[in-house]
Amino acid sequence: MAVPFKHIVVYIDGSESSMTAIMYAIKLAKEHDSSLTAVYVINTKALSELVKAGIFVAVERDEYQKDLILDADRYLHHAERLAEQKDLAIETVKLEGTVHVVVKELLKEKQADLLVLGGITDIRSRREELASETDRMMRTAPCPVLIVRDDDDIWFEFEA
Amino acid sequence: MNVLDVLDKDLVKVPLLSSDKKGIIVELVDTLVKAKGYSAAQGEQILDAVLARESLGSTGIGGGIAIPHAKIDVIEEVTMVLGISRESIDFDSPDGEMSRIFFLVLAPSKQASAHVELLASIARSCTSKIFRRLLEQARDSEEVIHLFME
Repeated sequence: MAVPFKHIVVYIDGSESSMTAIMYAIKLAKEHDSSLTAVYVINTKALSELVKAGIFVAVERDEYQKDLILDADRYLHHAERLAEQKDLAIETVKLEGTVHVVVKELLKEKQADLLVLGGITDIRSRREELASETDRMMRTAPCPVLIVRDDDDIWFEFEA
Repeated sequence: MNVLDVLDKDLVKVPLLSSDKKGIIVELVDTLVKAKGYSAAQGEQILDAVLARESLGSTGIGGGIAIPHAKIDVIEEVTMVLGISRESIDFDSPDGEMSRIFFLVLAPSKQASAHVELLASIARSCTSKIFRRLLEQARDSEEVIHLFME
């Protein structure tokens, strides 16, 4: 682990809170002169579960897989544009698999000092299967984790 | 995204009153239309999308559960309507079991990721036979919400 951070990874999933996280991570990387990687995971585990459970038919799985790839490209491109606004180089990575598993592997591979995540939700149920992927990433990351609250101030400050 | 992110008391109907597959889908869509204030035309578009998906293959998944779903840009965000029927409905499930628990899931086309995650979350939530039994026996929407929040 290095302080200040040398390599920051930010996870984005298209949610508003993950968009706040990318803005925060860009500001942080800029101030610490760190390298920054934005990662989006195409949740093929969830797709497989849906086919296995009989919720998706084959043609539907293929269609959604294409949609997920388009989602990934769209949000990673958005991250690139935000970084460009702040004159920061950013690496974007598109992965496939179980979100918290592949993110953990990426953090190790990159020897990341910090994982930045969008806001986590309150604990609303004790049922483990209702834990979010963000919760799982926070629990399993091999490096410090920074949780960014979804806050309008971050948007205003970024745009300033 | 998971079930708790979209669970809304106004989008839970207990009991559903219809006695066949199409009637259940219509009732779930009506619940959404009334709760969200959609127009009749928008309601028709939603219903058409769900029935079109259903024509590709039944969304009855067995274990007494059915998850009719569709991509539809009439709605702005991923939405779930949950209904429980006192009557067992033939939803053409692969295990031949009749269905009593119904999740209608709708998402705009540009939210594929959240849509997939929600569907997977529903499938995971309903793997417990005991939980399914408790859901089937829920008396009202508040009890359904309470079961998920426990």
